[in-house]
Amino acid sequence: MNVINKLGCATGVLLLASSIHAWSQTSDAADATVASAPASGVASQKSTKQANRALRKQVYTAIGKVKAIDAGNISVTARSGVVTLNGTVKDASQVGQVADIARGVPGVTSVNNKLSVARPFGGQ
Amino acid sequence: MKVKKICTAAAALAGLSGVAQAQSTVTLYGTLDAGLMYQSTAAASFAPTARDLGHVFRYKDGGIYASNWGLKGSEDLGGGYHVNFKLQGSFDSGTGRFQLSDTPGTAAIFNQFSTVGVSGPFGTFDAGRQIVPMIYAMYDTDVRGAQYFGSILTAWLGMNQAAGWPGTSTNGPLGALYDSNALVYQSPKFYGASLALEYAPGGIAGQPQGGTRESAVLKYSNYGLNLSAAYYNGHDANPFPANYPTAPAAPSTGLNNNRFYYLGAMYTFRGFSVSGSYSNGKNPANSSHVDFELWSAGLGYKFTPSLKVTSGFYYLKDKNNSANHSSEFAIGTEYNVSKRTLAYAQVGYVDNDGTMNQTIVYGQPVAPGKSTTAAMVGVRHSF
Repeated sequence: MNVINKLGCATGVLLLASSIHAWSQTSDAADATVASAPASGVASQKSTKQANRALRKQVYTAIGKVKAIDAGNISVTARSGVVTLNGTVKDASQVGQVADIARGVPGVTSVNNKLSVARPFGGQ
Repeated sequence: MKVKKICTAAAALAGLSGVAQAQSTVTLYGTLDAGLMYQSTAAASFAPTARDLGHVFRYKDGGIYASNWGLKGSEDLGGGYHVNFKLQGSFDSGTGRFQLSDTPGTAAIFNQFSTVGVSGPFGTFDAGRQIVPMIYAMYDTDVRGAQYFGSILTAWLGMNQAAGWPGTSTNGPLGALYDSNALVYQSPKFYGASLALEYAPGGIAGQPQGGTRESAVLKYSNYGLNLSAAYYNGHDANPFPANYPTAPAAPSTGLNNNRFYYLGAMYTFRGFSVSGSYSNGKNPANSSHVDFELWSAGLGYKFTPSLKVTSGFYYLKDKNNSANHSSEFAIGTEYNVSKRTLAYAQVGYVDNDGTMNQTIVYGQPVAPGKSTTAAMVGVRHSF
């Protein structure tokens, strides 16, 4: 039983590791968290969640570096490398800019952009 | 004419010689925002004893924000420094008239902004009449976005009405939307946090404190969270009685009579936004008569990038007289027909008790001490 489980886990990890190599050039840190995901049922769910949370934080950190963008109005959610952006930005150019920043974060495989432009209070 | 020609010639020469001159840009822009509205009660003024004139059906400018137009420009000085100017005025699209200035009965073409300033790595500095930082602190932490129909802005104005603002000028007793002669510094962001400071000299001869205003706003914006803390203090605020100029304005004596605090938060997660705030406005020289509290709560959902619903609840309380309180609920939907055109529909209900007269929409008084319902459909187009 133990042996089979271990073998199964190892195969899963191997498969996942090779598939990661195939589909993207992610950072080592992100690879490690994703690759260790299927180690066991509960633990895998937990580590997937952790990886998602870590990626979400990395995207926010990257957006936060651009001082003209208010990341407090932006929702970032991550699910296995897929990042969804929601909320608002100040002007139309920032809709694409935020998506580009998110795409540039290691570990992000695709971006689902639902951002819209907030109506400005004091005119343009 | 001569001057213009010389300028053109100089510009042409500069262009020909290929000197890398900094580029300046000027933008002409504006918004028209109007619709039809119904309201179940109405009054002719903000007087606490104003009688109910009955229901009203009307053309209404500004269901989201007032119609306005402006000119703005920026000159690149190099090294990340710019000189910026902004001239902006609001008007009523129904009549074409200018909106309120800082003095009753006096029109100001650029009543919202007439500023010149510098921006650079140090932040931004603007001098002149402008919307003050505390209003942006509210805008950032209200799901309704401090709009003209049922929001933190109309609730805060309700607080001003309760404190005796006649609504005839932008000079209010508690806090401010606009300040004339203001000097405003906005810091750059540090890990999402920023600071805004305002000082407006009063310019009253022989009274260094006369008519001065100062305010500070601390903001945080990152990880889907906006936090705002605002402090505003003014001297000789709201000097104009309702019947000005028949009755004269109160003399400027340097009286510290306007203090306002605001704390707010808004969180955005997926399509949802939630907000909440607490604020207090009082007259430090007469706090046994003017001392009000305001709580707000907001909830919104964005169905698609072009369709959203927002709602807000605003509770206003007179700390000196428990009979005076007001609860307002507003809900509205906005649909972006195109990048520059927005259609909206909104409904609001306010329960005013005692002498309270919190409005549902800016610019349409309700009967004090009564329940009022209002509905509005409108279109907002920017150019």
